[in-house]
Amino acid sequence: MPVGQLLIDGLAMGACYGLFGLAVVIIYKTSDVINFAAGEMAMFSTFVAFHVLSIFGYPFWIAFIVALAFAALLGVLVDYFFLRPAKNPTLLGLIVITIGAQMLLAGLASWKWGAEQKQFSIPVSYSITYEPIKGFIISQWALAVFITAIVIVTFMFFFFKYTKMGTAMRATQQNKHAAKIMGIKTDRVFAFAWGFSSVIGAITALLLSAKTILDPGFMMEPFLRAFAAAVLGGLMSIPGVLLGGLIMGLIENFFGYVWPAWKPITAFVVIVLVLCVRPSGLFAKHYVKKV
Amino acid sequence: MRISKNILVTMIVLLLAVFLVASEGLAQKIGFDDKEIRIGSWSPQTGPAAPWGATSRGVKLLFDIINEEGGIHGRQLRLFIRDDQYNPSQTMAAVRDLVDRQGVLAFVGGVGTAPALAVKQYLAQNKIPLVSVMTGAENIHVPHNPWLWGTWPLYDDDASVMAKFVVQKLKAKKIGMLYQNDDYGLDPLAAVQRRLKTYNMELAIAVPVEPIERDLSSQISRLKAAGCDVVIGYVAPTQAAIALRSAVSVDFRPQWIHSYNLTDFVLMNKITDGLWAKEGVMTSAFTDDIFDYSLPNMKKYADTAKRLAPDERWGIFYAAGIVAAEPLVHALKQAGRDLSTEALVRELNKMDNFKGIGPRVSWSAKNHLPPKEFSVWKCGPKGEVIVVQGWTVNDMPKKR
Repeated sequence: MPVGQLLIDGLAMGACYGLFGLAVVIIYKTSDVINFAAGEMAMFSTFVAFHVLSIFGYPFWIAFIVALAFAALLGVLVDYFFLRPAKNPTLLGLIVITIGAQMLLAGLASWKWGAEQKQFSIPVSYSITYEPIKGFIISQWALAVFITAIVIVTFMFFFFKYTKMGTAMRATQQNKHAAKIMGIKTDRVFAFAWGFSSVIGAITALLLSAKTILDPGFMMEPFLRAFAAAVLGGLMSIPGVLLGGLIMGLIENFFGYVWPAWKPITAFVVIVLVLCVRPSGLFAKHYVKKV
Repeated sequence: MRISKNILVTMIVLLLAVFLVASEGLAQKIGFDDKEIRIGSWSPQTGPAAPWGATSRGVKLLFDIINEEGGIHGRQLRLFIRDDQYNPSQTMAAVRDLVDRQGVLAFVGGVGTAPALAVKQYLAQNKIPLVSVMTGAENIHVPHNPWLWGTWPLYDDDASVMAKFVVQKLKAKKIGMLYQNDDYGLDPLAAVQRRLKTYNMELAIAVPVEPIERDLSSQISRLKAAGCDVVIGYVAPTQAAIALRSAVSVDFRPQWIHSYNLTDFVLMNKITDGLWAKEGVMTSAFTDDIFDYSLPNMKKYADTAKRLAPDERWGIFYAAGIVAAEPLVHALKQAGRDLSTEALVRELNKMDNFKGIGPRVSWSAKNHLPPKEFSVWKCGPKGEVIVVQGWTVNDMPKKR
């Protein structure tokens, strides 16, 4: 068994799941809503980068910045036009709204860019490889994923712990009404959370598009894995989600190597088993509300 | 009370009107009149499988060409394309609509195993011919269905010819297989194993892939660890591209050879950043090279596509629509002015070595199986087609 290779590939893919899981968790931490449109929002932003790069012919870094700006705007717009107009929404109602947004974005992308797979590459290549230790081949792409994941998680850790907006987001999640009474503009917090989440999702999708293939359905499967990784790590814990992603990537790669036919479900089976023992996930603090 | 009476009379009049309109609709069911012949086709025009929807538009191109040339015995060909999103329940609804309301004479093309399975009994019950159904799965054609004619070769035959080529021409020592874990991959897996047995060989490894998977790192690690010098692939274009990228990223460079569903070298080269050409990927093929304009009709088709459908890419799926429709058009021409379903069926059953831009097609009343003839292509350095083995018939077909 090529342990070194499976380890590196598993960690790289797992870091992508973890990063994308963070996009899910940011919204969950603020509003308790699971955003089922996260995959399609990220896909749409990646298509914007593709459009700027391939159709308008601008350099990658301009396409990258435009895509991130678009992602932030898209997140805010989804919150403003889809979630806010809901009158006295239940949590389930809000989740259903995100499913509607997901279908709308998928349809729009197919209509605008067609369903055919697209050529899209980023400056970091999967074909340039290094072998620092025998059996451990690491591509430029995997290195970029690791660095991005470390930077984003560190930023988020400090953001939620030490910034006003981060504290406001956590306060809003714990008690929206109390937060309002304390002077927090919760609508702004929600809009910021959606924009922020959308940007993280877009960065992950840009990285993933270089390893997989860009088409309107390309984020569907990574979203499911990322969601599962977030549940595994604990939906309330930022480092937990990233660790959940890494564990997910490793499980998939090692089990996928031994039993390839079972690969797509192995990770989910492990998650069910873990949740039976720790319902809040591996790394979240388990608490029970008194009633 | 008077108002109720008025409402009652209005409702009766409306019901009568609906009944009359419906009767007229039923009267149109014969599928053609003096001016036109109505043909149906389904394919995914939207949704994840939409790239395959180009096939129906390819059929339309051929019909437009025929119509420009005066139609068939004075009748224009009218094509009804329905988008089923690759969803069998939607295929059923679309086919029913075309049969009951539009009154089509026959269907041509029709993408996908599951959609075709959903409607094949219904079409047989209504005696509607389905010509060139677009799937290579065996269970569509076996047992014999008198209302279904195949042009799309069986994956089983494809894999058998490919395995023979790999052993005899490529002199492969360790052959691996990456296959989709359903009929599309399992039929060829059995065919490859059967063929290798005749050389006293076995697959070094066979690794399954689920159609939705986007991370194939572990599958590639297995193929690499097995030391494969050739890998046979029966996966979708997306998985083939991801597999190639993943293999290059761990410096695993076997000779890849894929099924005929991946012959769109322009697309494959594009989505693999040129790796398809750089690695010299091979595929089997059941059409002629659509960029070889020295072949009969090829230039005419390509030029007309540019003129009538300028937004359409002259790609393999688009051209496959023409491959599917050519035998139907031939049979309609042979049936003469005195057209009927029986006349069309008679001519389809008399198809003998018909050659369009696809393989040679021969059908009889007892045999509607698709051709068993393939060539092998290699992607050249500029993304061009290099024919490394000409048309070859499967000499070891499965006993059916």
